[in-house]
Amino acid sequence: MGEAQVRVDEVPLGGTRWRVHDLALACCALEYAAASVRLKTARAGDSDAELARGLDLLAPGPEGADVLVVSGTVTDALAPSVLAIWERMRRSRHVISFGSCANSGGPYWDSYCVTKGVDQLLPVDVYVPGCPPRPEALLDGLAQLRRQLAGVES
Amino acid sequence: MTAEWAAQVGAVLGAEVHDDFGVARVDVAVAGWLGALRTARDELGCTFFDWLTAVDEVRDGYRLVCHVAIPPSKGARMRTLILRTLVSREEPAVPSVSGVFAGASWHEREVAEMFGVHFTDGAGVGGRLLLSADFEGHPLRKDFVLASRVAEPWPGAKEPGESDASLARQQAARGDAAASARRAPRRRSRPAGVPEPGEWGPRESGSPDPDPLAVASDRKPRRGGAL
Repeated sequence: MGEAQVRVDEVPLGGTRWRVHDLALACCALEYAAASVRLKTARAGDSDAELARGLDLLAPGPEGADVLVVSGTVTDALAPSVLAIWERMRRSRHVISFGSCANSGGPYWDSYCVTKGVDQLLPVDVYVPGCPPRPEALLDGLAQLRRQLAGVES
Repeated sequence: MTAEWAAQVGAVLGAEVHDDFGVARVDVAVAGWLGALRTARDELGCTFFDWLTAVDEVRDGYRLVCHVAIPPSKGARMRTLILRTLVSREEPAVPSVSGVFAGASWHEREVAEMFGVHFTDGAGVGGRLLLSADFEGHPLRKDFVLASRVAEPWPGAKEPGESDASLARQQAARGDAAASARRAPRRRSRPAGVPEPGEWGPRESGSPDPDPLAVASDRKPRRGGAL
């Protein structure tokens, strides 16, 4: 993020509410759950209030979801299932890679069975680093995706 | 492990009983593997199958390890027993015990994939259990080399700013090779199975093939260590 950093409460929402589906593969999913609670309990005036209006982190499934968050370790054996989830999403879809494992394989980079990042399978829009990243980092990643799509930030 | 339980195990199985950190352990020959497990179930009363796994013992072959138990009952604590056998490295085949403990089938399939031990007369469940369908090799064998770093540099770092990429960036920015050398990271330890640079991968023609067992099993002398 450069000097033109936009605060979370200035994120352009464009009137749409994003449905976000969590592809929960490992422990990063707990941080996703914490972030969803944080948005669920955000009140008017909170720093997350604007984001909470624009995001539903509890999409019941990939069908109809706008954003897929891959949180956890993708293994080669699981790769076809990850692709199947992606295929079930609507066409205007985005992917956030959440945590070191989804980003690059993380601590399992040398492993015989772990995919070296979900970007080997899917086009990733935003990478959120961390092992695991904090819930705030997920919200920041989602805000960054919105800024990217609004053309505020590339 | 009580003396009473050890005596009972020894008498029924007709073998020496060892005390492994409080658990009774019996080693049997591979020919007696199936029979020992059946005897443990039927005559000792070890009706509870806990797990079965293997260890690559390199020169000695593959060691199968199985944990069974007599479940606790009123007035009696649980009694446990570990049975082990050695399967030869050259012909790793052993009768399946899934006829004695049906639950062993899952564990045997895992051992078959990970160690390449063939379980004869098994339930014949087809398909892979854990590995992807096109996976080649047996990854928990100690001669299985994790060769990713041969094709691509490891992207990670133990500390922020320690990766090869970030060091090169710092060096280029400062143009100060000496300072970078002083900052050279401490010797990095490698995970088991990951070869040292230059140990594996492309090499001059005519040079001898490296021994995968030596490369991957960490049997080389390391810092201050003997074989």
